[in-house]
Amino acid sequence: KAPDLSSVNKVSNVFEDVEFCVMTGTGKYTKSELESRIAECGGSVVQNPGPETYCVIAGAENVRVKNIIASNKYDVVRAEWLLQCFQTKMLVPWQPAVMIHMSPDTKEHFAREYDCYGDSYTANTDVAQLKEVFSRVKDNKAMPLDIIAKIEERYSWNSCQLSIFRGNTIYVDCYAIINEPKSKIPAIALSIRALELRFYGGKVVSHLVEGVSHVVIGEDHSRVKEIKALRRTFRKKFKIVTELWVKESVEEGVAKNENQYLV
Amino acid sequence: MEKILNRIHLVSDPEATYFLQVSWEKDLGTGFSILLSDGQFSWAGTVSEAEISREAADMEMNKEKYVEELKKALVTREESAGKYNYLISRDQENVVCQFSYERSLKDGSFRLGSVKLQEVPSPAKVVKELIGYCLDSLGKLQAKNEHLQRENERLFSNWSDAEKRLEKCVEAKEKLEADLYNRFILVLNEKKAKIRNLQKLLNEAKESAADA
Repeated sequence: KAPDLSSVNKVSNVFEDVEFCVMTGTGKYTKSELESRIAECGGSVVQNPGPETYCVIAGAENVRVKNIIASNKYDVVRAEWLLQCFQTKMLVPWQPAVMIHMSPDTKEHFAREYDCYGDSYTANTDVAQLKEVFSRVKDNKAMPLDIIAKIEERYSWNSCQLSIFRGNTIYVDCYAIINEPKSKIPAIALSIRALELRFYGGKVVSHLVEGVSHVVIGEDHSRVKEIKALRRTFRKKFKIVTELWVKESVEEGVAKNENQYLV
Repeated sequence: MEKILNRIHLVSDPEATYFLQVSWEKDLGTGFSILLSDGQFSWAGTVSEAEISREAADMEMNKEKYVEELKKALVTREESAGKYNYLISRDQENVVCQFSYERSLKDGSFRLGSVKLQEVPSPAKVVKELIGYCLDSLGKLQAKNEHLQRENERLFSNWSDAEKRLEKCVEAKEKLEADLYNRFILVLNEKKAKIRNLQKLLNEAKESAADA
């Protein structure tokens, strides 16, 4: 049923000669409220989309909206976009975020302007927009630490204070028996060092194997001999340093030279 | 009032054990009382502040330094075992007992002080008092031990709790970082694909321009 919009006072010409079809309202605004505000801005409203309809507005998705989407003939736009237009008193360009569904023409247009995550090829982005874009990335597999290290190196982010130990693979001597995670010594300061190493970008491993770059030792030096014996069997030699190396590197925000902490 | 009970042995007779109780107000330098017992007989006496000052003067020693020596000789014996000698001479009837303490040196010794003690008429009472003192100390130590143990358990559980929480924070940070980098790479690669595409289009346009 079409609402009577004859008594509406026109306040602007933003939507002059633009035809809308409002399907549903939002939690805040009813369908008819949205319709009368369109009329206030000079736009016209129809109850079923036709060849002249600019776009379909949907506050919530229901069966009718789904049918419109299935027909693939119309652009279905979020009611939020309409509110943006009312607020700024201008026809705000569509952005991927406001599109519920795009007709083939619009889709093509968007493909020229935006990537598949809705990030513009040409317009600068900002924190809020990038958050939006990121939220549309559904493929959220975690990036391995060594690839992060490469990216940071490439873009010179490796001087970041949170990347002090980036690229290092570290074994922390907090197991009573080497390479036996079950023998972890409880409540020792060294386990905090291990967490610090991880927090500041290091890769902490529970097994002392080929490829480890550092071994961090606490007050207890009883396993040093065994660690050194193990090192002799490795092709790539690791450095054995005291936990002071971790402490002082964290305090100063840069990786300190290991040579003054060697065991 | 402070009190300390120690066991002393004599150089002249290492087999004999004496119990020496020293008690004082606030500071040893303002005078102290001595109670000496071999378990059978007991003697008591006091050393006044004036006597302490006199001894220090006789030895041409600063009084503070002299009091420090006294403390080492009579109070904190554990650290200085063997560094001090004790001499006891009692009369036949055990009525009077001369108690002397000296600092032993490489060559000989020098006397820190000497006090004449009088027999306490009821030695059983003295022994009772000494045992009472020991039991009181034991009780206090036990209570303190229990308190410290509880405190230690509390600290231990706080530590492991904090460690677990810190580990969660670190995990969350690692996860967030890895996730953001993943999203960043996907969006970045889209841009690069676009650049590649534009490069391709540009080359095609160049070729067709050259052909024409």
